[in-house]
Amino acid sequence: MKKTKKIVVISLLISLGLVLHLVESFFPLSAVVPGAKLGLANIVSLIAISLFGFPAAFQVVIFRVVLGSLLAGTFMTINFYLSFSGGILSFILMYLTYYYFKDYFSLIGISIIGAVAHNTAQITASYFIIANIGIFYYLPFLILLALPTGFGVGLVSYFTLKHLPYSLTGGNFND
Amino acid sequence: MKIRDILTFYDKILIVFVIIVSLVLLLIPFYYFGTSAEDEELILKVQQGDQIVKTVAVANSYQEPIIFKIKGPIGIHTIEVNQGRVRVMEAPAADPLKICEKTGWISREGPIIVCVPNSLSLWLESTNSDIDGMSW
Repeated sequence: MKKTKKIVVISLLISLGLVLHLVESFFPLSAVVPGAKLGLANIVSLIAISLFGFPAAFQVVIFRVVLGSLLAGTFMTINFYLSFSGGILSFILMYLTYYYFKDYFSLIGISIIGAVAHNTAQITASYFIIANIGIFYYLPFLILLALPTGFGVGLVSYFTLKHLPYSLTGGNFND
Repeated sequence: MKIRDILTFYDKILIVFVIIVSLVLLLIPFYYFGTSAEDEELILKVQQGDQIVKTVAVANSYQEPIIFKIKGPIGIHTIEVNQGRVRVMEAPAADPLKICEKTGWISREGPIIVCVPNSLSLWLESTNSDIDGMSW
């Protein structure tokens, strides 16, 4: 893939992630379990990981989190650090799983790993801020909820990659 | 294309593993809190930063609601105790997610209301159970 084209695709993925982040806030999952969300922006991370590998996908995640917090006005506040910790840990785990265990796990499994890691990182980060171990009460509910959301996100990423044109994927996913 | 063709064997193992882990974690609070007795007295504790700033006996709320304000780094929370239940009535505007407000009412031991940006947490404690080891 040409360098210019790659830059364009990366920035498209970042803006898609920002929009998905906005769409996500229309679903008030926080009323079911505090802190729960769909994780739609993870679709973009998964696609970036499968298309580009480490440096570019990392850029997509970092820019999505930073730009998203700038747009929401929460940059450098606690909300930003929470989503940053969750985003980074889930990205690293998803990338490592994709890189080393691609033959064993499908995108669905990788997405579930990312969702569970995101929740665990956020709860742990919040624990260090509010210093109250009772917050772990919500962890099992969040992990249980991460199964269907991670499953859905993995499915969406899978079908998106399948329907991307040959010029983008290089024929890796059009089976 | 069926989902069965996409899911691999290890995916299924992962899903079952995650379900088992979360169910085991779900059981831990029951081990600590047990079943609620009839004559228990609930006490609301409010923690801000690393110290408890307020304790309220929930039994006093049956006559008329108790409403008080707690100040944190990003603003003021209005907390309501009404008919043995507790909620955050109003979260500060500086908190865009307002998770503590969306949590709604809590009325027993276990659930906790948190406002992470304000390092505020509220929870109920029963006077006749020793959960001190759990909460500290």
